[in-house]
Amino acid sequence: MKRIKVIGTMVTLVCLAAWVEQPVATPMQLQYPSYFGNRFDMPANNPLTEEGVFLGRHLFYEPRLSANGRISCASCHQQEKAFTDGLRFSLGVDGTSTPRNAMSLANLLWVRNFFWDGRTKGLEAQASIPLTDPHEMGQSPERSAQLLQRTKVYPPLFAKAFGTPVITGDLIVKAIAQFERTLISSNSKYDQYLRGEYQPGPSELNGIQLFFTNPNREKGIRGAACGHCHGGPKTFLELYHNNGLDSVPQDAGRAAITGQSFDAGRFRVATLRNIALTAPYMHDGRFDKLDAVIDHYNEHIHSSSTLSVFLQQGAEGMRGNQLGLSAAEKKDLLAFLQMLTDSTFISDQRFSDPFKNQSK
Amino acid sequence: MKTRLFFLLLSTCLLTKAAWTQNKDNPVALAINGEVKAPTKITAAEILGMKQTPAMLKDRDGKEHTYTGVPIQDLLNKAGVTTGKQLHGENLAKYLLVKCADGYEVVFSLAELDNEFTDRQVILAHQVDGGPLPSGKGPFRLVVPGEKRPARSCFQVVEMVVRFAKD
Ligand code: HEC
Ligand code: HEC
Repeated sequence: MKRIKVIGTMVTLVCLAAWVEQPVATPMQLQYPSYFGNRFDMPANNPLTEEGVFLGRHLFYEPRLSANGRISCASCHQQEKAFTDGLRFSLGVDGTSTPRNAMSLANLLWVRNFFWDGRTKGLEAQASIPLTDPHEMGQSPERSAQLLQRTKVYPPLFAKAFGTPVITGDLIVKAIAQFERTLISSNSKYDQYLRGEYQPGPSELNGIQLFFTNPNREKGIRGAACGHCHGGPKTFLELYHNNGLDSVPQDAGRAAITGQSFDAGRFRVATLRNIALTAPYMHDGRFDKLDAVIDHYNEHIHSSSTLSVFLQQGAEGMRGNQLGLSAAEKKDLLAFLQMLTDSTFISDQRFSDPFKNQSK
Repeated sequence: MKTRLFFLLLSTCLLTKAAWTQNKDNPVALAINGEVKAPTKITAAEILGMKQTPAMLKDRDGKEHTYTGVPIQDLLNKAGVTTGKQLHGENLAKYLLVKCADGYEVVFSLAELDNEFTDRQVILAHQVDGGPLPSGKGPFRLVVPGEKRPARSCFQVVEMVVRFAKD
């Protein structure tokens, strides 16, 4: 009899606990091509969920996270420009310019160290930097949490995503990071070609060939050796190189992080996905057009003691400091870079401003 | 007398400055982390003070060069990695990830680097043909003799990480 009572109480307690507990958020699976590989880590304390991503998307477009209430992540990372802003340097809340060019946000899942100098590990840590930087959004996480807590929309969104309506700076950053992990661009013409759904023209085909091939003069092999640093189908490798922009770098780049003189003027290789949409180019936005970028690699590499060994005099295939591409080959290379534009990515509703056509 | 004192002071200042700059510019040459007895940081001076071994490598220029440096196994021993007699059982599922300043990374199984398994000596080199390494490749590079492509003989090594393969 006593046993039944105990069991009865236990059952009641368990039921009560289950009833009181918030509904668990729905795990989310990401879709991406196998040729992107699986070399990434999802932080164990921030698993991807439908509700977390949905909340993160709102926060990405939320100007209340900035000190003047007018700037959101999306001010500098606009979807139609593959999450860049078309400016050489961006304007933050205090009206000053960022020291570097806003980076495109695509396939961040495969990036481990963020920014042009790779100074920040992990997307969660990255997100808190623009939020608090006085030249970007300039507001403390505590203040942002307070402001959102007072709204009608956010407490329930946090409850659904994280099981608690109590908003904290940590949860804000986690949700934004979740949203950013879903920004996968894998439906460009080049992807369609890799899937066998698109037949490139002769110029595009030669461009692909040039991009990924290391030249060899003796064997008569033409190539631009871009893939050496920009990688395979992801067109991204997490490498730091001085690609010859200046003989005396204006910006120390990676050296400011590592303190090593051999890192002077080294910057992280940028993704070339959607590159035709993300002008101007390089960490300081010095080139307005892709033609100028190709001319740079072909004709204007500046020597210095930290210039990448792959771009130095006498490096395999280099004619002096020049690649020696013909005008036609430059056009072909450009045709390949343009193949990397993914119109699905820039129009995908899942990545768009959730506040558009909706009164706040 | 006064001038002597002045010069003495000046040279002390300069010497301190030189030592400080060197310390700042080159604090740690190599870090060894992961499955080690204790995470270890090794300075350039310490590496130069270890037993030096030559190794041959055919570079991208197609010519053989003689490199000088320290066997990787000796460096791993400094960090208490399971080498030699200890390299058996589950330790054979360990690999070494070599990281370079430019972010380039290559992997070896521990057994590939161990003199109880192979006569080939992979070294961390600081000299080629008796001279310093060219800029962009030094201060320390890996030299992996006997491979058809020199792609694992990577430049500017800054860190080595020992891990278990966990699949
Ligand atoms: C004022 C403009 C501005 C705002 C606002 C801004 N960013 Fe950025 N973002 C930049 C700039 C500039 C860089 C490159 C900075 C650098 O490398 O030093 C950058 C870099 C990044 C990167 C690195 C990408 C990579 O490949 O390493 C990520 C991720 C990012 N921003 C996400 C965000 C998020 C999330 C927000 C909102 C919380 C945000 N940004 C707000 C300008 C901005
Ligand atoms: C030695 C390594 C290396 C090689 C080879 C290389 N790149 Fe780059 N590339 C980089 C680095 C590093 C950056 C970022 C540099 C910076 O901003 O300071 C970059 C940036 C770029 C950018 C600008 C990206 C952006 O978002 O602003 C483009 C476009 C580009 N490279 C195209 C190419 C093409 C085309 C080739 C072949 C002709 C090539 N690269 C070869 C290392 C390399």
